[in-house]
Amino acid sequence: MDRSSFNRSAYLYLLPALAIYGIFVLFPILQTIYYSLTDWNGLTAPTFLGLQNYLNLFQDAVFINALLNNLAFIFFYSVLAIVLGMFFAVLLTSAPLRGMTFYRAGLFFPQVMASVVIGMVWRWIYHPQYGALNQVLRAVGLGAWARPWLGDFDWALTAVGIVGTWAQYGFCMVLFLAGIQNISSALYDAARIDGAGMFQQFWYITLPGLRNQLLVALISTLIAAIRIFDLVFVTTRGGPGYATLVAGMYLYRNAFVINRVGYAAAIAVLLTILILIISYFILRLQRTQEEESFA
Amino acid sequence: MSRFVCSLLVVLLVFGMLAGCSPAATTQQPAEPAKPEQPQQVTLKVWDILVSPTEDEVAKQLIAEFEAAHPGVKVERETMTFDQMKSRAKLGLSAADGPDVAQINQGYSDMGALVAANLLVDLTPYAKKYGWDKKLSPGIVARNSFTPDGKTMGEGNLYGVPITAELVGVFYNKEYFEKAGVSVPKTFGEFEAALEKIKSAGIVPINYGSLDGFVHIHVFAEIQNLKIDRAYLDDFIYGRNNVSFNIPANVEAAAKMQEWVKKGYFTPDFAGIGYDDSVAAFRSGGGAMMITGSWISGDTIAQAPGKFGFFLMPPLQEGGKRMSTGGTSTAFAIRKGTANEELAAQYIDWMVSDRAAQLWAEKGVVPVGKVEVQNADPLFMDLLKAWAYLNENDLVGHYLDWATPTFYDTIVASFAELMALKITPEEFVQKVEADYAAYLKSRNQ
Repeated sequence: MDRSSFNRSAYLYLLPALAIYGIFVLFPILQTIYYSLTDWNGLTAPTFLGLQNYLNLFQDAVFINALLNNLAFIFFYSVLAIVLGMFFAVLLTSAPLRGMTFYRAGLFFPQVMASVVIGMVWRWIYHPQYGALNQVLRAVGLGAWARPWLGDFDWALTAVGIVGTWAQYGFCMVLFLAGIQNISSALYDAARIDGAGMFQQFWYITLPGLRNQLLVALISTLIAAIRIFDLVFVTTRGGPGYATLVAGMYLYRNAFVINRVGYAAAIAVLLTILILIISYFILRLQRTQEEESFA
Repeated sequence: MSRFVCSLLVVLLVFGMLAGCSPAATTQQPAEPAKPEQPQQVTLKVWDILVSPTEDEVAKQLIAEFEAAHPGVKVERETMTFDQMKSRAKLGLSAADGPDVAQINQGYSDMGALVAANLLVDLTPYAKKYGWDKKLSPGIVARNSFTPDGKTMGEGNLYGVPITAELVGVFYNKEYFEKAGVSVPKTFGEFEAALEKIKSAGIVPINYGSLDGFVHIHVFAEIQNLKIDRAYLDDFIYGRNNVSFNIPANVEAAAKMQEWVKKGYFTPDFAGIGYDDSVAAFRSGGGAMMITGSWISGDTIAQAPGKFGFFLMPPLQEGGKRMSTGGTSTAFAIRKGTANEELAAQYIDWMVSDRAAQLWAEKGVVPVGKVEVQNADPLFMDLLKAWAYLNENDLVGHYLDWATPTFYDTIVASFAELMALKITPEEFVQKVEADYAAYLKSRNQ
C-alpha cells in the first residue's frame, strides 16, 4: 500500500468531523473574538472599536466585583469539593462496608441532577420561613442564626457556594474512588507492617497515588467555577445587590438583556483566556511532576 | 488510488445522508401540492406571545372569527414566550418571509432598535382610520411611539398597538381588613394608619418577597407617583430635558420604604423570598396587602374567589390625582415590506375590537379598550374600574426600569442595599442617578 495515499484518505475521514467542529466550534469562536472588538447591539451593523471593550472592562467595577466572586466560588467549587470528595472516597474504601454501592450511589447523586433542579431545591431549603435549614436551626434552639440566606448580603455568596460544593463533590469522589482502587494494596500492607497509622497511610500512599486524579479534578472544577452561571441564575440572579454576581451572569445580562453584545463577547474572550491560562499551568505542573517521578 | 476514491465515496455518502436527514427533521408542515384552483388564498403570518392557556384560548377564538370574516385568509400563528420573542423578533422581521404581524416589546432595546433598522410600519394612519387613538390614552400612545430614527421614545410615529392592560396597585385580603377593623383607605395618611393598625392586630401588613429583585420597583414607584407629576416622569423615562433622579420626592419615597422596613410592615426576612413564593403566600393568607401588578389576578380569583380586592395607592389628599405604574401588553406591530400590510392592520384592529375586549374580560384579563362587564369577581371589577380611571385620565405611569438599558440592574441592586438598611435614601438616589446621568451623557454624544 502506498503510504501517502493512506495518509490522504485518513484526512478525508476526518473531514466530516472537522467540518462540524469548524462550523459549530471554531467559527463561532472566531466570530466572538471579532465581536469583542466591536460595539454591536445584535441587530444593526457592528462598529469597530479595537480594544476599547477590554479597556472598559478593566475599569468596570461591577465586572471586577463579579470576577472576585468567581474567585470566591473557586474555593467552594474546587477546594471544598475536592476535600469533601477525598474524605468520602477514603471513608468508602477504608473498610469493607455493607451497602457500599448504596452509599456510593447516594453520595454521587447530586452530580447527576440538572443544575436547575439543584438550584430550585436549594431555594426551598434556604426559604426563610418554611425552608428546611431555618426550620432545623429553630428546632434546635439556634433560631437567632436563621436568616434569609439567599437575600443576606453577608451570607448569599456562601449559601450559593455551598450548593456548588454539593453539586461538585460527587464527581471528585468518583474520580478518587477509581484512583484509590488502582493503588496496590501491597503498599498499604507494607506501611501497616512498618506501623503507619490511618493518617500516615493517607498522607504517604493515598495522596501521592491520586496525584493525576487530583489534577483532573482541579482542572474541571476550576473551569466550572469560572464558568458558573446556572446556579446563580436560578438561585439569586446575582443579588442581593451584586453580592453573588459572577462573570457568566454579567455576560448573559449584557448580551441578551441589554443588547451590549460586543461587550459581552469581550467578557467571554477574557474568561476563555483565563481558563486556558489556568489549565496550562495545572497541566505543566502535572508534566513536571511526571518528569520528576521518572527521573 | 482506488482506496482514495472509495473513501471519498464514503464521505460523500455520509454527507448525503446528513443532508437527506436534515430537511425531514426540520420541516414542520407536510409538503402539500399547490392548489391552483384557489389563487385568492392569502396567508397572514402572525407571531405573538399569548402562550398562557387563557391567552391562547382567546387568541384562537379571535383568529377563528377573523378567518371566518375574511374568506380566503389563513392566519398562520406562531406563539412563543416573551424571552423567545425578544431574541427572535430581530432576525424574523428582517427576513423577507418573516411574520406580517409580530408582538413587540416596547422600549429602546426592542421596538426602538427595530424602528432604527427600518423594519416596522408606521401605524399612525391606521390608528386614525380604525380609531385606535381613541381607545388608548395619550400616555399609552406615547409609549408605543418613536421618532423614525428610533432614537427618541415617546414622540413621533406609532409603531405598535397593545391589546391588554396591566396596572400596579394594592391587592388586599378582605378577611384581614375586617379583622383589623380597616377599610379601603382614601388618602395616603389613612393607608399608613391602616398599616399600623394591621400590624398591631398581629397580621403582616405588606406581604413581600424580594429575592427576585423587581418587586422593590413597584412599591417605590407607587410612593414616588404620589409626589411627582406626569411631565417629570415622562421626561425621566424618555430622557428629555436633562431631568435628574436625585430629587426630593425620590429621596422621600426611598426614606418611606426604609421607614416601613424599620417598622416591620413587610414580611420578615423578605430578602430571601422569591416572587412566586410570595404571591402564593399572599393567596393563602401571608399578609393583608400586596403591592404588585394585575397579572396575579387571574389565578388569585380562580383560587380564592371573592376573598381579595384591589385599590390604587391612595393620593396624598382625598380625591387628588396621581399616576400609578401601569402599562399594556407588548404591542402588535407590522413588518415593513410585507405584501399584506392592509390585512395586517385589519388583524390588529380585530385584536383590539370590542369583541376582543369582551373575551379578555370573560377570562379575567383587563383589556386596553373599554368594556362593560356584569357578574365578575369583585377583584376583577376593582381592576377594571381602576384601569378605566387611569386610562381616561391619562394617569398611567411608567415602569421605571425603562429609563436606561442598565437601569433595571442598577436600581434593583441599589434597592437591595436600601432595604437591607446598608445605605441611606440619599445614597440610594445618588447611585441610581449615576447610572441615569451616564446614560444621558452617552446618548447626547
